[in-house]
Amino acid sequence: MMNKKQRLTNGLSLLLTVYALLSPLFSLKLEAKYTTSIKSITNQNHLQTTITGLITDTHGQPIGGVTILVEQSDKGTISKMDGTYNIRAAGNGQLIFSAIGFKTLTIPINGRKKIDVTLQEDITQLDEVVLNAGYYTVTEKERTGSISTIKAITMEQQPVGNPLAAMQGHLSGVNIIQSSGVPGGGFNVEIRGRNFIDGASDPFYLVDGVPYNAQSLGSSNVSGQILGGNISPLNALNLNDIESIEVLKDADATAIYGSRAANGVVLITTKKGKTGKTRFNAHLSTSLGRVSNFLELMNTEQYLEVRREGITNDGFGPFLEDPAFDFIWPDIKSWDNDRYTDWQKKLIGGTAYRNSAQLSVSGGSSDTQFLVSGAYNKETTVFLGDANYKKATLHSNLNHKSSNHRFKFNLSTSYTNGKNRMPRTDFTSKAYTLEPNAPELYDAEGNINWENNTWDNPLASLEETFEVTTNTLIANALVSYEIIPNLEFKSSLGFNSYRLDSYRTLPSSARNPNLGLTSQNYASLTTNGSKRNSWIVEPQLHWRKQWQELKLDFLVGTTFQEENTEQFIQKGTGFPNDELLRNLTAANTLEVLQDADSEYKYNALFGRLNLKFRDRYIVNFTGRRDGSSRFGPGKQFGNFGAVGMAWLFSEENSLQGNPLLSYGKLRGSFGTTGSDNIGDYKFLDTYNVSGFNYNGIVLLEPTGIFNPLFGWEANKKLEAALELGFFKDRILINSSWYRNRSSNQLIGIPLAATTGFSELTGNFDATVENSGFEVDIRTVNFKKKNFTWSTTFNLTIPKNKLVAFEGLETSTFANHLIIGEPLTIVKLYNALGVDPETGSYQFEDYNGDGTIGSLEDKQWVEDFGPKFYGGLGNTITFNHVTLDFFLQFKNQKAFNEIAFGATPGYRGNSSTALLDRWQQPGNMNPIQRASGGLAFGEDTGALQKSSNAAVSDASFIRLRNISINYKVPDLGNGLDLNVYVQGQNLLTLTNYKGPDPEQPSNTRLPQLRQITLGLQLGF
Amino acid sequence: MQYRKKITISRNLDTKHLFKQTVRMPRITLLLLALGLFSCSDFVEVGPPENILVSETVFNDAATVESALANIYYKMREQGMVSGNFGLTTGLGIYSDELDYYGFDTGYSQLNLHNVLPGNDVITGWWSQGYYLIYSANDVIKGVENSNKLTAMEQDQYKGQALFVRCYMHSLLVALYGDIPYITTTDYLDNNIVVRNTETTVMDNILSDLTLAVDLLEGVDVSSNERVLPDQWAAKALLARMNLYAENWERAASIATELIDNFMLETDLENVFLKESPETIWQLKDGENPKNTQVANQLVIRFIPGQTYSLTDDLFSAFETGDLRKTHWTDSLSDTDNTITLRFAHKYKATLIETESLEYSIVFRLAEQYLIRAEARARSGDNPGALEDLNSIRNRAGLPDTIVGTTGDLLDAILQERRVELFTEQGLRWFDLKRTGTAEEALGDLKTNWKPTDVLLPIPETELEINPNLLPQNPGY
Repeated sequence: MMNKKQRLTNGLSLLLTVYALLSPLFSLKLEAKYTTSIKSITNQNHLQTTITGLITDTHGQPIGGVTILVEQSDKGTISKMDGTYNIRAAGNGQLIFSAIGFKTLTIPINGRKKIDVTLQEDITQLDEVVLNAGYYTVTEKERTGSISTIKAITMEQQPVGNPLAAMQGHLSGVNIIQSSGVPGGGFNVEIRGRNFIDGASDPFYLVDGVPYNAQSLGSSNVSGQILGGNISPLNALNLNDIESIEVLKDADATAIYGSRAANGVVLITTKKGKTGKTRFNAHLSTSLGRVSNFLELMNTEQYLEVRREGITNDGFGPFLEDPAFDFIWPDIKSWDNDRYTDWQKKLIGGTAYRNSAQLSVSGGSSDTQFLVSGAYNKETTVFLGDANYKKATLHSNLNHKSSNHRFKFNLSTSYTNGKNRMPRTDFTSKAYTLEPNAPELYDAEGNINWENNTWDNPLASLEETFEVTTNTLIANALVSYEIIPNLEFKSSLGFNSYRLDSYRTLPSSARNPNLGLTSQNYASLTTNGSKRNSWIVEPQLHWRKQWQELKLDFLVGTTFQEENTEQFIQKGTGFPNDELLRNLTAANTLEVLQDADSEYKYNALFGRLNLKFRDRYIVNFTGRRDGSSRFGPGKQFGNFGAVGMAWLFSEENSLQGNPLLSYGKLRGSFGTTGSDNIGDYKFLDTYNVSGFNYNGIVLLEPTGIFNPLFGWEANKKLEAALELGFFKDRILINSSWYRNRSSNQLIGIPLAATTGFSELTGNFDATVENSGFEVDIRTVNFKKKNFTWSTTFNLTIPKNKLVAFEGLETSTFANHLIIGEPLTIVKLYNALGVDPETGSYQFEDYNGDGTIGSLEDKQWVEDFGPKFYGGLGNTITFNHVTLDFFLQFKNQKAFNEIAFGATPGYRGNSSTALLDRWQQPGNMNPIQRASGGLAFGEDTGALQKSSNAAVSDASFIRLRNISINYKVPDLGNGLDLNVYVQGQNLLTLTNYKGPDPEQPSNTRLPQLRQITLGLQLGF
Repeated sequence: MQYRKKITISRNLDTKHLFKQTVRMPRITLLLLALGLFSCSDFVEVGPPENILVSETVFNDAATVESALANIYYKMREQGMVSGNFGLTTGLGIYSDELDYYGFDTGYSQLNLHNVLPGNDVITGWWSQGYYLIYSANDVIKGVENSNKLTAMEQDQYKGQALFVRCYMHSLLVALYGDIPYITTTDYLDNNIVVRNTETTVMDNILSDLTLAVDLLEGVDVSSNERVLPDQWAAKALLARMNLYAENWERAASIATELIDNFMLETDLENVFLKESPETIWQLKDGENPKNTQVANQLVIRFIPGQTYSLTDDLFSAFETGDLRKTHWTDSLSDTDNTITLRFAHKYKATLIETESLEYSIVFRLAEQYLIRAEARARSGDNPGALEDLNSIRNRAGLPDTIVGTTGDLLDAILQERRVELFTEQGLRWFDLKRTGTAEEALGDLKTNWKPTDVLLPIPETELEINPNLLPQNPGY
């Protein structure tokens, strides 16, 4: 019987198998109420009869689209929209009812002709929560590894443009920081801390099984000042097309990805079509966004007072009154001293709009399902001007299985075109530093005002355009065929194409006309045309076997992957006029800044062996042998593997039927992974064509030093976890402890300049340990017919430590790292306040040499890594209204406003905190005396900026997301309508004084506060 | 790429065994064949990329070696000590008594006010760019020595040029920072932990390497009509200067004589800095865009306000009455309401806005050789000879012969002449003040923060962090 059943492999059928095995126990324990009406009983059980019935949910509402299968046969049907069905089956068979969002139910027919069924909505059903582990799937209940997941329903409540933004705070062990509030910007992602002293912390991303290189192809030559050169390829993914995101964290889950899994693995699964009547879904939303927090800066009166005081303190007071020197301080002498502009309001105080529309069609029979979805998104900025980011996505999925279910096919494709047009520079830094009495932006005639060459008008940046167009195609086909019962051949074939075209113009009209710059001698156009194509083929064999109480699941596969990256950056200078600036052929001279072409090949063999005894003892072996072209001959192959174990102790007889404890699992894993995330050809000594020439000779510049000592690095992961469910799983607690150690670190080792290079990639005998404790709690607090309330909570307490570092004292990291301390430390001066006599900052003289300023005086250690972080989410449903709110919290320290400026009186505005300054002997103030920056020897502000006075608590609790959804009831005809309001980043509780505790920068636009109105219509 | 079929088939495939320790390729081949695939052990071998050359191939062809050398001259012009942008001309101009500074750059302000911190980005850039060029030169030397595809003539030329570059960079670094590592290999493991050599050792190395460079280049026709590639004469000009600095008077004089015999002074002061000037020994050719020299763009004042540098009153008053260099090589500009007038160096006149290439960046010119010989002769007792050389320079500038009594006076006159002849040229003034011990006398009053330890710049902070073998820091920092 089991053999036949396993012909329904994978996906739904796997779920069914597991359910069929366990449902007798669980259906009783989990209040799986089903009502069966027995209308007639017949003894002719083996005859085919027609069975009819009505399927309803617990509220008595009919459910359409439920798949009804006759067990041990190919037959199946789907319930109609009114919840009724009919099917022919033998009277001694069993019917299997399944639908997304509901628990699957298996009911023996027992000769009945009419079977009405009530399906339970699926909230915490552990054995039905199927997790994607990449090459295989596993149920929440039986998993041996550490996998966190976020589903569409949680992501859809957030009005954000990038899947990474939707994950922020929701997953334990995953620390995500948005690097800019400018649309299209990048993210920093760390899964279980920083593993590498000097390397990337990016995890390995896969979209529907295809590796997705998330490394930016942006160039700082083009986009350095607006997006930091970081243009996240993940922007190409439309959040509404994503079904779920799984984050694989421990060795058991990641070792099958071998050398690329050291930083964790992120699996993104896109939506698939659903069986049933063809459904149309339209989704419209519009958002308003504004900068969530402005700094308190000086007004004109305060600013000028401090400026004059500073210049006088520097001993230049008399010069202030001499008109011959007016040109040195135009802000004081030339500009209107009564003028005041709130530059934050003016430059970054606008409202950003985001409009998005999505239309999708899905449906299909029980054998073939399809989904096509198109989305359009337009996002503007808070800046002046008409900058905007437009994105259009087309996603489709086709799923088919042959009528005997032996052959299966799934094709998913996604194409995205994004166009991001932004000013050349982020205005944020200007908004914080422009003098409050700086001149008008435009003169009386409406031209850019240069105020007699006394300032750099920030609006020049609007004349200088930056635009990036990206085209992304992700296609993956998965075919499988069941060769003989229990043995399945499967292969994925993936193709990924990413193309980025960007340009930046510098017209002469954006420069002060007095500089005499013209289109001919100044104007320039820089373009970056980059592309990355990769393909992957992963044939696999999957074998299942059961002997009595032992179940075996075996998988073996091989990977061939190739990736080609090209980047071509050129700059044209000197144009006949600014109008021709978009046309490179009009350029007087052309320079090729970069013409890079790299090839990456990757070959692997991987496998998994899962053994399950009596459904409670599980052992899971995974392994991978990897070969990567990023290493030199002889060092290309590496082996990685892991073992995971789980004991479902709640299945033991002694605990069966326990009224309190309904689920209990102890699990652990240990194994190794690696990283080859270091760029191509790093082991060669190389010369590159730089694109310039000297005396007509093309230049060849040395770009790499030969490094024979270049090999894989090891990352060992250890985890132990306890999972508990109470009160029929209404309370689920998942707590895990982990310890990951990364050694033989492949890092860019900073070199002394005497080597000719600033950096070399090589292996370093150093060990970094990330350990920590993670808790995830899910509770259903209240569950009644019209009212449910559930809560999720996650908490991560990470600890990062440099365990060993051979020869740290003599290494290049001697002054940055300390053995036993985290990698995230900074060494600083110890600030002792302001000397009441001199008005200068005082510092601890650690080396006792009488002066401050040497490295030995920087002995104060601060750690910028988070102490703990997490999130708390609540979902409350009352009748047709659902309220969700999510709080994110983090305990950490960061550089504060003193790090941006510690001396009052410099040219350029600064925080009002600097007003509390020393003015005369005897004063006791936290800020030193003002200085105009003209007496260098006496101004200790620069030291203060890198002292512990520039560090403060940056912990926060943020109402990251609140959403109210109203489902318009009883529209009939399968029509459903949802109306919602969402707020993102509405409230932040923090003592931090800077723009945003999450991203403490004074040059990047902080995250916006957004309100979204949306409507979803399905029929 | 070739797919290689594996035909090894191992029996009794034990699946558990597969994952026991290491997954071995042949053992798994059965499964791969079962999957209908070929194992491909050399799949992950990729050839070098098209736009990258591995060192070895660079030195198999004269054209690519010339490209590697061209990169050195290009980098010299664009970055670091010799460049007009951020080089010694401006940096040491404000550090000594030549230029006043009006900009707001922290690194430059520190140089101007003699408050240089070890983290100063200007001095860090000079150091690292210098050693980058030294690495580049050493890689050429190593590559050329190991190459068997180059002719003997080519080998001599490239090695000679690279040795010259290595000497030139070390000569500037040792003058700025005192004891420095003298780097002769490309091995990063060694160079990352080098120790400092004494100034004397560095000078000895420079002199011997440079002598070798001269030997190698003497038999070679570098064939650069515009004198934009270093040849034997460039090497000799540096050798004469180094012998002067090392106080090898006779050697300095004899090499300078060779140069004086082979080049001639431009008689018209207006033309001395044009790219065709006959007294140029070696110059760095302009780029295509922008054209002309970066140094003109830095020094020539076109707008007030808007200026970055002006000539100090101290320097301007050093010109004698009637000195034609004052009118030909300096100029002035006033602001719109005539409240302020600033003087600036006008040796190079063509700024970057000029669309035609008129001037190149001169590194060595003959006038310096006259003054080297004058000093060397005076030091070795040949006062008449010294006077003759000194007056050649004076007369060209429209000044009468010098009449001096003692050798001391003569040496002072030569130093004064160097000041007004070689001002704002690659920091020569600062090096003169330093080597003659007159820095304190010249700068004590001018720079309020002057300290005797200022004769040496600090070793860059980042460098000491990475390589503690370079400790201790220079005194005073």
